[in-house]
Amino acid sequence: MLLEVNDVRGSYGGTDILHGVTLNVGNREIVTIAGTNGAGKSTLAKAVIGLLPQVSGRIEFAGRDLTGLPVEDRIAAGLAYVPQVANVFLSLTVLENLKVVPNVRDATTRIARQLDAFPALKPRLRQRAATLSGGERQMLAFARALLTQPTLVVLDEPTAALAPSLVQQVFDLVIQLPAQDVAVLMVEQRARQALAISDRGYILDQGRVVLAGPATGLLADDRMAKLYLGSEH
Amino acid sequence: MTLVDLCNLLINGTIEGLLIALPALALTLVMGVARFPNAATGDYMTVAAYAGIGVQAWGAASIFLAGLGAIAAGAAISIIFYLWVFRALRGRAPVASLVASIGVAFFARSMLTLFVGHDQQTFNLPLVRAWNFGGVRLLPTDLYVAALALIAMALLFALLHLTPIGRQMRAIADNPDLARACGIRSGRVLLSLWAVVGALCALGGMMFGVKAVVSPELGWELLIPAFAAMILGGIGSPIGAVVGAVLLGIASELSVPFVGPSYKIAVAFLLLLLVLLLRPRGLFGKAILSR
Amino acid sequence: MIAYLIAVGIIALIYMLLTIGLNLQYGYTGLINFGVVAFFAIGAYTSALLTLGGWPLVPAFVVAIIVAAIVAYPIGLLSLRLSDDYLAVVTLGFSEVVRLAIQQERWLTHGVQGLPGIPRMFLSLGIGDYAELATLAVLVLCNLAAIGLMLHLVRSPYGRLIQAIRDDEVAVEAIGKDPRRLKVQVFMLGSGLAGLAGAFYAHFITYLSPDQFLPLVTFYVWIAMIIGGTGRTTGAVAGSLILMVFLEGSRFARDWIPSVSEVQMASVRLALVGLALILFTIYRPQGMMGSRR
Repeated sequence: MLLEVNDVRGSYGGTDILHGVTLNVGNREIVTIAGTNGAGKSTLAKAVIGLLPQVSGRIEFAGRDLTGLPVEDRIAAGLAYVPQVANVFLSLTVLENLKVVPNVRDATTRIARQLDAFPALKPRLRQRAATLSGGERQMLAFARALLTQPTLVVLDEPTAALAPSLVQQVFDLVIQLPAQDVAVLMVEQRARQALAISDRGYILDQGRVVLAGPATGLLADDRMAKLYLGSEH
Repeated sequence: MTLVDLCNLLINGTIEGLLIALPALALTLVMGVARFPNAATGDYMTVAAYAGIGVQAWGAASIFLAGLGAIAAGAAISIIFYLWVFRALRGRAPVASLVASIGVAFFARSMLTLFVGHDQQTFNLPLVRAWNFGGVRLLPTDLYVAALALIAMALLFALLHLTPIGRQMRAIADNPDLARACGIRSGRVLLSLWAVVGALCALGGMMFGVKAVVSPELGWELLIPAFAAMILGGIGSPIGAVVGAVLLGIASELSVPFVGPSYKIAVAFLLLLLVLLLRPRGLFGKAILSR
Repeated sequence: MIAYLIAVGIIALIYMLLTIGLNLQYGYTGLINFGVVAFFAIGAYTSALLTLGGWPLVPAFVVAIIVAAIVAYPIGLLSLRLSDDYLAVVTLGFSEVVRLAIQQERWLTHGVQGLPGIPRMFLSLGIGDYAELATLAVLVLCNLAAIGLMLHLVRSPYGRLIQAIRDDEVAVEAIGKDPRRLKVQVFMLGSGLAGLAGAFYAHFITYLSPDQFLPLVTFYVWIAMIIGGTGRTTGAVAGSLILMVFLEGSRFARDWIPSVSEVQMASVRLALVGLALILFTIYRPQGMMGSRR
């Protein structure tokens, strides 16, 4: 397994949010973590990437123990992260948002290739990221995260701030990642849509995994429908 | 007040403002990237100015060498206190660094007065006469000083916008968590930041010393004006700091005919209050100031 | 010797009043006052000028407290709009402006020449040397009253609210109290205590000049509070006593090492204050006596 999360507990501002979460992600796999608001999804994403100050449990990545490693080392080890909000440097230009990423081999070529993948960014290279729309920011954040050629990218609610028309566009981007040797751990509230493009999924409720399995199985499971009563579209 | 008087006040105010811009830039950089108001800014200026005096006292008559010595000393003291104090306080509330920075200010100044004394010092400079354009007077020294300040600012802006380390500084200022998630290691960036901050303070201290005298209170007395300039311009905005400083310089010169020269600090303070009350984000800043 | 101890005790008790005031502002409400010395100076000059103008001591003291508290009012209001560190800068700037005004407004304060001949306390009683002892006693009573007031505040619902402001302002708003008004009141209360301390100081030293009101004084008080532990009621007592031992000790040190000049000793004192601020914030942020939190 590429990522193994074992009995991770974590708190945020003194409140316990994760009560022992165990999950894993394989190479070139898309895994969705779904759950209602406050289930601890984003906290889990932060714990994996290293932005949660108080964590216990074990997180292994590519056979390496990440526990206690700072964010920067986890990025160097091949993880990447796209946060839910504040996912771009607003005061930097689009190009600067990409150029600011350190330790990118052949940066100029890599950036050019990312821009080919996200052509909508091209005419806006010299604009501040603050002038971009929500969808464009998400694209910039993806392009930035993929610059370091990660083997696993952690996406925290990539569709949360988007207009409904753009949601499918983002999921279409995610589908293409395994072909580039990138596995995906995606936290999403739109469980059905996310699971539809995922290999496997975990359903989180109040800091615990309550359901897990292949995406198709979860989609058919009526326990999921119950958990999601009212919150699913 | 005649037009000529007004011109003189405007010129003096602009030059004074360009000099205050240097510590104001140092403050705003620390505020933006390290996120606390560094009360030791003024005393870094003082220490560096005395270092410049020291270089001249050791026999190097060149004011250029004195300036280089001051910059080296300013960068050194700034880095030393970062490594010793402010690095240890990262991750704590800004209040901790703020209180510690007062400690740093006192400690730096006390070491200075203990070993150098309290006497005022002056730089050895060739005496020059002011140019006189029909009553509008301009000292060549002032012109050089202002030009140097402008060059320093141009270099700073080039650093911030054209170099990788400068981009990383701006990224950390913009969004520290995202910067970490991009793999930016802040240690090296902060070391460069404090070196730049020390150099800016040094240049400022040196120039105020060249324009007047060097005394142990030189920098401390400029702290409130520099704060006012930073807040007027908008916290974390380098352009704002420069514009704010020049406006402050002009405002305090224009106030001289009315309240006398000794109330300059009070004018800066009043301006600070007005900005905080009327436009807390300053001219160019984001709204990070109010709760 | 006894007279010396009494004198040291009086100064220590004056610092204690200042520390209690600051502890109320910072330790309990989180208001960063870097301008303690301004309110101290305002209290000192108010009472001195009134008594020199013929007022009796008691009303002069009362007015000193009131003036210091009233001056604190607009700054307290301003603090509501600022985050903590900006209040620090504003109060620091304010204290420098107050000192500047004392220097410049000679018609009122005699500027740098200073204000001599301020009446001593209890002189009119004709009890001679006992006047200072009486001053000491009154100061002890005032400190006890201040501590009592503080304990009362801390334990009352009002006080728990104050501490709640420090910890979570939103929660306080949620239970329907106005934390903003409380904050301003606490700021005024602390500044009033500083004003009272200033009045005692003026009538004990009997001579005032602007260089007695350097920002250094503010940070003496901060050190006393930090050493004692912020937010600890007893901390203010312990902290100001330790501060006094340090300040007086540095005077004795000079007697033992005569080669050190007074100017150098002042530098050493400043260095130690700076060092204490640095080391305490890094290593013992909860003070010497541990934390109450």
